[in-house]
Amino acid sequence: MMQKIEKALAFALGALLALMVVDVTWQILTRFLPMQPSSYTEELARYLLVWIGILGGAYAFRKKSHLGIDLLTNALHGTARKTVQIFVVLVCFGFAASAMVYGGSKLMLLTFELEQYSAALNIPMGYVYSVLPLSGLLICLFSIDQLVELITAKQELPAEFDSSVHPFAEEAEEIQAQVAREQQEKQKQPSAAAEA
Amino acid sequence: MEVAVIVLLVSFLILLALNVPISISIGAATVLTMLCTIDFDPAMITMAQRMASGIDSFALLAIPFFIFSGMLMGSGGIARRIIDFARVLVGMLPGGLAFVNIISCTLFGSISGSAVAATSAIGGFMIPSMTKEGYDKNFNTAVTVASSTTGLLIPPSNILIVFSLASGGVSIAALFIAGYLPGLLLALGLMIVCGIWAKAKGYPVGEKPTLKFALQKTLDAVPSLFLIFIVIGGIISGFFTATEASAVAVLYSLLLSCVVYKEVKWGELPALLTKSVETTAIVMFLIAASSAMSWIMSYQNIPQTISQALITISDNPLLILLTINLILLAVGAFMDMTPAVLIFTPIFLPVVTELGMSPLQFGIVMILNLCIGLCTPPVGSVLFVGASISKTSITALIRPLMPMYLMMFVVLALVTLVPGISEFLPRALGLIE
Repeated sequence: MMQKIEKALAFALGALLALMVVDVTWQILTRFLPMQPSSYTEELARYLLVWIGILGGAYAFRKKSHLGIDLLTNALHGTARKTVQIFVVLVCFGFAASAMVYGGSKLMLLTFELEQYSAALNIPMGYVYSVLPLSGLLICLFSIDQLVELITAKQELPAEFDSSVHPFAEEAEEIQAQVAREQQEKQKQPSAAAEA
Repeated sequence: MEVAVIVLLVSFLILLALNVPISISIGAATVLTMLCTIDFDPAMITMAQRMASGIDSFALLAIPFFIFSGMLMGSGGIARRIIDFARVLVGMLPGGLAFVNIISCTLFGSISGSAVAATSAIGGFMIPSMTKEGYDKNFNTAVTVASSTTGLLIPPSNILIVFSLASGGVSIAALFIAGYLPGLLLALGLMIVCGIWAKAKGYPVGEKPTLKFALQKTLDAVPSLFLIFIVIGGIISGFFTATEASAVAVLYSLLLSCVVYKEVKWGELPALLTKSVETTAIVMFLIAASSAMSWIMSYQNIPQTISQALITISDNPLLILLTINLILLAVGAFMDMTPAVLIFTPIFLPVVTELGMSPLQFGIVMILNLCIGLCTPPVGSVLFVGASISKTSITALIRPLMPMYLMMFVVLALVTLVPGISEFLPRALGLIE
């Protein structure tokens, strides 16, 4: 279930970024081609960024890739470590529930009530703000999942949030592996040539 | 007001130390501070509203685009072409491979926009090949780690965009151009260190390339380096805004990596998009939370309070600048760049402008300072990636890094004391007065 949500989230976010690229490309094209410069692309791109940033926050939370300082957690063991780790997840849950779900829905309802519309696209601002409660709910959901994992875990789990940026770390491993493979092939080739 | 300052500082530091993500530490500390003076409902609504409006900015769009184009350009093939090009430039000097390493890291760091990516892509190839030529492995890793950070000062650079936002609107174009000289100065300084080290250790001199080889390798590298030209040329000439330039960078890297070199398969694009979004979201979520925090801070007059406290330390502006630099160095050792810039810019900027430093110069000083933190323990991400690539320990790297830290401090001192290093190019191009 969680995996499915995570996959859907990844797909939606990737699509939003792709849409953003198309949108800004279109904006540049309309500026240089002899036609009316587009008026709504800038606004659309900004709102897409809000969605990517806030909804992506939930995805990064699930992937445990938010930056954090793990020195203390790594120094702790046993119950103390577990307690701290559970506390961390509870803080995240509390923040998401209060500011994002509660504050975000209030904000959304308020702007619907006041009938606030965006300047260029003329869409209700409530739709833009709806990403806050949505992302907040997801963070709450992921927190609960993480909490269950923490409580039921038999062994010590690694600290949740470390200081490195994961996507690049993965990339780094791939590049390393690729270079190693190529070097091996290179070493094989001259010897094969010598044998021949 | 006193209570609010204490609540904000104490809750933030405790949450941070306990491993709550920095962005959520900022958010939660802000919520607690708000609750000191504002009722629950309006506090939560303000928090939510500030988070959304904090990232509702066309200038910030450049960040996901530069990240995505960096991911597209981050393949091993492009790293290799840049290394070959650098070999043509400086390979024949004594200790030439160290110079090749520095130039490659600088160029790749600039194109990919990530010091970690530069360390892994360039280091992954250069560290083993330097070791094979008889260079000391720990030295090679130290060179890679230190020089990877130069790419953060040389545009396109996302951290400069973040600073532009945090400072309340220093021009991104001016910051981009201002980063060149300090970044190149740092690279040059590191080359001097390596030259002396290589002479002392008697490291081999590389072969002089033949003209045909030199021409061919230069031509091979041109398409990748052309990205920098499009982005910076487009911005300086006023042809594009920084955001538009970043979108063009995405299109160009798509063309280069997927169509020309075919190093990225079309099928890999969705995964790359998701990765880019993940990295983007870390930064954006931080910006969202920080914009709520800077609101509550200015609501409570906190930056002014801290600024005044700093100014009363001493009448000597140099001493205050030294204090600020030392605080930033300490912060950089524990915190990644983006949150550090977002948190400390609003606090220190009023102090330094009172001392007569321009926001532009302060941006460069701050980023250069925090670059040092990326290569120091306990939490320097570039240092860790470097150590893991060369399969060596952090402690073994500290000794060869010492002269490089020293050189970084010298460059930092120069950039702090001489405004011209940051301001000359943007002024010459008419980007600042």
